[in-house]
Amino acid sequence: MEESFPTIASACQSSLAARLNAPDTRGATQELVRLAAGLGLAALYGLALGARSGGVGLLQHALGASAGLAAVGVLGMPALFVLLSLVNAPVSPSAMLSAGARSLASAGFVLAGLAPSAALLAVTIESPDAAAFVARAGLALAGGIGLFQLLSSVRAMLLELPSEARLKCYGLLFGFSVFAIMLAARVWYALPILKGAA
Amino acid sequence: MSSEVFAVFDELLRSPRAIAARCRAAGDLRPLFVASLSALVLGAGVFGATLATSRGGLQLLYSGVKLPLALVVTMLLVVPAFHAIAAGLGRSLSFSGMIGLTLAAAGRGALLLVALSPLVWLSFDRGLTYHPGVLLAAACYALAGLAALDLVLKGVGFDARGFVIVGLFAGVLLATGGQTAWMLRPFLGRPSAPSVPFLRQRESSFWDAVQQSSLSSVGVYRVTRALSTAEGRTPSPPGPSLESASESR
Repeated sequence: MEESFPTIASACQSSLAARLNAPDTRGATQELVRLAAGLGLAALYGLALGARSGGVGLLQHALGASAGLAAVGVLGMPALFVLLSLVNAPVSPSAMLSAGARSLASAGFVLAGLAPSAALLAVTIESPDAAAFVARAGLALAGGIGLFQLLSSVRAMLLELPSEARLKCYGLLFGFSVFAIMLAARVWYALPILKGAA
Repeated sequence: MSSEVFAVFDELLRSPRAIAARCRAAGDLRPLFVASLSALVLGAGVFGATLATSRGGLQLLYSGVKLPLALVVTMLLVVPAFHAIAAGLGRSLSFSGMIGLTLAAAGRGALLLVALSPLVWLSFDRGLTYHPGVLLAAACYALAGLAALDLVLKGVGFDARGFVIVGLFAGVLLATGGQTAWMLRPFLGRPSAPSVPFLRQRESSFWDAVQQSSLSSVGVYRVTRALSTAEGRTPSPPGPSLESASESR
């Protein structure tokens, strides 16, 4: 039986998921709004984790969860654009901004989706190690999906390249992925819950 | 409406593909919601009460209420995560379609639990003891979970990406559902317990219990706090003792 699955583009355009994940390239302002929405959604996950300690912890975790994504966007994306340009990849600043905004928005959306479960687990699990594991798993899942989105978008830009140049770009993307994972982990590990705070 | 609801019951069992298509189309999902929620509450209620036949009395009522409650709360908590994961991996359904798919999957699993209830009851009636009873219940949950995930897989696509989405969702579901059920213990109730509590006191977590059981299965046992204090030994870090972990289902 032939099955058809709705793509992001065909999904209801008014839904938040569709707007955040839509593959179309928009103006810089709209992309920055998409980026900001993603970071705001990531803060919801931080709030959920912060519910474990309450008080200032809420703010610390909310800022920390967004900061990991923001760091990759601010420090990683420009560097990736420069490196890809050096090997003559057909990337433009607007396309890279769009790809970056979409991937960070996607990661933020996943974090927001995980927030209700994270809140339950963070508040009810007694062991600090188990709570840290749960928090890490959520961040890793969302970060992984964001990275997947970014790599898919950038790879789509490289389809026209000769195979040798494309191979170089894939090498750069691999290096970028490792860097992005390490950078996000570096920022997220400042979260009190990951440092074993009860 | 009622005839549509009964038709959906039938579809839940026989045509998961049709249910999945209905959720993807995201038309009028009210009959699906009503049928799935009814199946969930009824099925989990019957199975919960059946589990409690090993203890009897008030436990029958408590478990019949708590098991549906655990499932409904879990569904409420995990649907946003499922929606976000599927959207992030390029299989976006409408949010109502996602709720329908998740509810239908849970309802399908609950109907399977109803079908397994006579076997569980007979096992307890023939003298199945507490610990094997826990294992039997876990096996029933696993079967129901597989039936539910089969429907979810048909909803998001029976391919590699669909498997990844369902795998990630199953991880979130396991963690959230496990902890929710852990907080609503006991479901079986120990025959030797003098009274039947609606909820046990907050103690450790599902995760700690899994960790403890894993250690115990390879022969590593933690010393319980009470025992260690009595014998002058250093207590283990917070976490369920072997005894409490086995008592807590």
